[in-house]
Amino acid sequence: MMSQETTRWIGHACSYTPTPLIHASGFTPYRLLPMGNSPDRAGQLLHDNLCPHVKRILDRAMENDLPDLHGMVFMNCCDAMRRLSDAWRAARPTDRVALVNLPVLAAESAISFFADELTRLSETLSTWSGQSFNQADISASIAKFDEIADLLGELSNRAHTGTLEGGSSRLQDLFNRAATESVDRAVELLRTVAEEMELPAAAHNGVPVYLFGNVLPDPEAFALFQSCGVHIAGDSVCTGMRAFSRIGGNDSDDVFVRLARGLLDQPRCARTFDPSRPGKIAQDVLAEARACQAKGVIAYTMKFCDPYISRLPAIREVLREAGLPFLLLEGDCTMRSMGQQKTRIEAFTEMLR
Amino acid sequence: MMLQYFERLASRLDAKIAKNPDIPNARRKFAREIAQLGTRLYSGQHRIAWCGVIAPFDMLAAMNITSCFVEFVGAMLASTGAVGTFLEESEHAGYAADTCGYHRSVLGAAMKGLMPLPDVMIATSSPCTGGLAAMENLARMFNKELFVLDVPASDTPESVRYLANQYMDMFRFISSRTGETIDEDKLREAIVKSNQARELMVEVYRLAQNVPSPASGQSLANFGIVMALFLGTDAGIEIAQAYRDEFESMVKTGQSGAPAEKIRLLWLQNRIQFKNPLIKMLEQEYQASIVIDELNDITWEAIDPADPFVGVAKRTITIPFNGEINWRLNHVRHLSTAYKIDGAVNPCHWGCRQGTGARGLIQAGLKEIGIPVVNLEVDCVDTRNFAEGQLRTRLEAFMEMLRTSPSAA
Amino acid sequence: MYYLGVDLGSLSCDAVLLGGNGGVMASSVVPTGARNQEAIARAVDEVLKVAGITEDQIKATVSTGYGRDRVEKRLAAVTEITCHARGIRNLFGETQVLIDIGGQDSKAVRLAADGLVTDFAMNDKCAAGTGRFLEAMARALQVDIEELSDLDLGASGSVTLSSMCTVFAESEVVSLIADGVAVNEIVSGLNRAIASRIVALVRRIAPASDGLSIAMSGGVAHNHGVVRALSQAFGTTISVPPKPATIGALGAALIAREKDNQGR
Repeated sequence: MMSQETTRWIGHACSYTPTPLIHASGFTPYRLLPMGNSPDRAGQLLHDNLCPHVKRILDRAMENDLPDLHGMVFMNCCDAMRRLSDAWRAARPTDRVALVNLPVLAAESAISFFADELTRLSETLSTWSGQSFNQADISASIAKFDEIADLLGELSNRAHTGTLEGGSSRLQDLFNRAATESVDRAVELLRTVAEEMELPAAAHNGVPVYLFGNVLPDPEAFALFQSCGVHIAGDSVCTGMRAFSRIGGNDSDDVFVRLARGLLDQPRCARTFDPSRPGKIAQDVLAEARACQAKGVIAYTMKFCDPYISRLPAIREVLREAGLPFLLLEGDCTMRSMGQQKTRIEAFTEMLR
Repeated sequence: MMLQYFERLASRLDAKIAKNPDIPNARRKFAREIAQLGTRLYSGQHRIAWCGVIAPFDMLAAMNITSCFVEFVGAMLASTGAVGTFLEESEHAGYAADTCGYHRSVLGAAMKGLMPLPDVMIATSSPCTGGLAAMENLARMFNKELFVLDVPASDTPESVRYLANQYMDMFRFISSRTGETIDEDKLREAIVKSNQARELMVEVYRLAQNVPSPASGQSLANFGIVMALFLGTDAGIEIAQAYRDEFESMVKTGQSGAPAEKIRLLWLQNRIQFKNPLIKMLEQEYQASIVIDELNDITWEAIDPADPFVGVAKRTITIPFNGEINWRLNHVRHLSTAYKIDGAVNPCHWGCRQGTGARGLIQAGLKEIGIPVVNLEVDCVDTRNFAEGQLRTRLEAFMEMLRTSPSAA
Repeated sequence: MYYLGVDLGSLSCDAVLLGGNGGVMASSVVPTGARNQEAIARAVDEVLKVAGITEDQIKATVSTGYGRDRVEKRLAAVTEITCHARGIRNLFGETQVLIDIGGQDSKAVRLAADGLVTDFAMNDKCAAGTGRFLEAMARALQVDIEELSDLDLGASGSVTLSSMCTVFAESEVVSLIADGVAVNEIVSGLNRAIASRIVALVRRIAPASDGLSIAMSGGVAHNHGVVRALSQAFGTTISVPPKPATIGALGAALIAREKDNQGR
């Protein structure tokens, strides 16, 4: 058990959150995952037909199913998230809340603007913590988070090749722990796991599938995939590696530009795209599916998620033309809606064998 | 098909206006300009730009480009009653029916070849994520590059500068793709005209505040959002002037826009775009009049014609439905007071996250100042999904409530 | 002098007849079926018969329900929201929040101290939290709708269903049955799912409902399990009238008397 008195948590809810910046300011970033059993109350402040990720987080806030947060940092990544920040302020008026603009594209001017936004955030965090920090502190934090990214990347590869004890389900648990525990504990944990014996590569007998989508944090969901005969050979989900992409860059770069570029340049969510190549995500999905030699593609998306809903037809089309079978699972990002998917997943794997 | 529709509409309105040339004919002139915009979009003889809702249409007008937000086509299809086919088309292509009908109908129309191929596409990241995604899809369908205006949700000097610089990039983009050059004089002229229309619109809204209001359920429908398309042009000034003249003479004689105004309503978000009996029902059975829409009476400071980018950027960023919910709340609270509103109607458009997603917060915010709100779960575009009985019940129950409440008229 | 309230809903047509002193003389509930006028006639005939009077002795009629405009001999058509509120206040004079769960929709109504409606919220777009949901569940469990009422007894509450969407919930129930989960646990989960939706609806009109007096109307009030789940969710007893499906018609009849007395 970590000592809660010395850990000061800043909550966040998006893979674009500049977690190294939060860490450098003296706080520990805590990702609010849409899990737990808080009663369904979000519709009272917002609306029922809204992103389940946002609703579940708001339910937690209204139920106070939260660690003792010192503040919340929201990224203005989509309409639902922006509304969540509004609802949070209404539900918890004494909380410290920041809303950070997030460009929708990774053009140089956008990166420059985002760097300014991150500078502004660092000032806010400084005020919240009562202490100042500098570029060197941020660089040191980036190094720590990049180490976490590298460790998770390694473990992710092992899960994909079937050599990680516990498979994708355990991997998801590790992602969740890395997102909700102190940085040092996360590093310690991941290093320990990385030192484990790898399983022999032929240990799994699932059908290799490429999984992509948005929010799916429950390890049980991955256990379900496994029990249905799916082996996740490659994946791209918000609550997986996308939340831990490397920032990269050099210590000699302006640290805010480095952070801005590192966050925007990675495909953390379909809401960010390259306007000069509309619909590129479909090609990316195909390329990644092929790269991991998947026999089929499973998409898991939450209902009411506009960035994903709108890209699915193009993805479907591209996969159909390439002859790759595709299964779409729509849910509410919790296990409650997954149980019923069992038959469809099993049927899909039977088809792929 | 669309071209014929718009041409016929324009000539019908021309005839009506010609019959009574001495009256302001405000709504007719407004509708005629919409028809003429439609004609230009579909004629194949004009440069056109498909845009997001908050693109700088007055600046684009200076570049000899007919620009329009794509949702306009959705609204037009809905008003003709023909939208079902296009919604179905998009659904068959795999677009979940959970998304906004404005966007689905436009994507369906594009699939059926009913969206003219644009010369340029200028998307805006605000007001909504869905709208931006729809523009990406259209760009993919048209095999065209997209230019995105990334609109920050905060009103800071850095945000304004960021957006202002993007306008300059936008002009260069358009220039390089169309060969049209940026004429500084034309741009200045467009801004001057935009300012003139704006001044007249401010007067129109001030007159609408009168008790009884010269506005009726129909007269200012879609006004604010569509007038944005006419800013920077002579037509924009003419229309605003007609409304100003019409409202002025009505206020002088104490004439009410609705038959007998007993209850004053604020209409939030968007209008239901297809023919429906609800507004008439409110006016005739309850003497309840929509005196103002949330999307109307959004005004801004005059823009400096010599330095338009910063002024336009500021105008865009401070639109109430961009940014945190308090911006919208302050706006609707102000409207409630200024227009002496008895109640607000909130048409919670299906699939709308930015607007409808704030249903509870808007209701609570208006309740704080004593303004009751009725929520209508409705799809403003999808005629197939219109549950008249249910909506009537809600509105009637609301009217019953307002009539018996101590503060009601 | 008699006053009549007619509630023409999509599933049933209910009538309530009041005497001159406001006491209920008779009430009826008949299935609406496919022909509205016949259903209205049957419902009205039944109350006339029980009261032993003829139609011309009715001083005034107020209609309500989805088909309120179809009731021809009426003084006025008033929405179910106003009528249910009036009706429930007549039976439970302290009611501050009314929950009405009918076959097709559910409503939450806030009443002021004087009994007037000050706010309401409706769910008529989504089957979750309505009688329709229960019917679908009854079918999935292969029981009659009436049997559902006490099937939850003895459950520990181990099953939690998705309360987001009935499509999800229905297939969940099917999976749970296939997995051999005890019926009482499933039904308990269902009741709590409905209660959860209703709590969300109520909170839209009463963000802080603690200490408020809550009553229920509509056919689903016959389901003890749902009432139990609501009671638990709100932490208070829910007042349920003996004939919950006729509250709308009762309210309409009361309004008929009122309007007649006011000379309108």
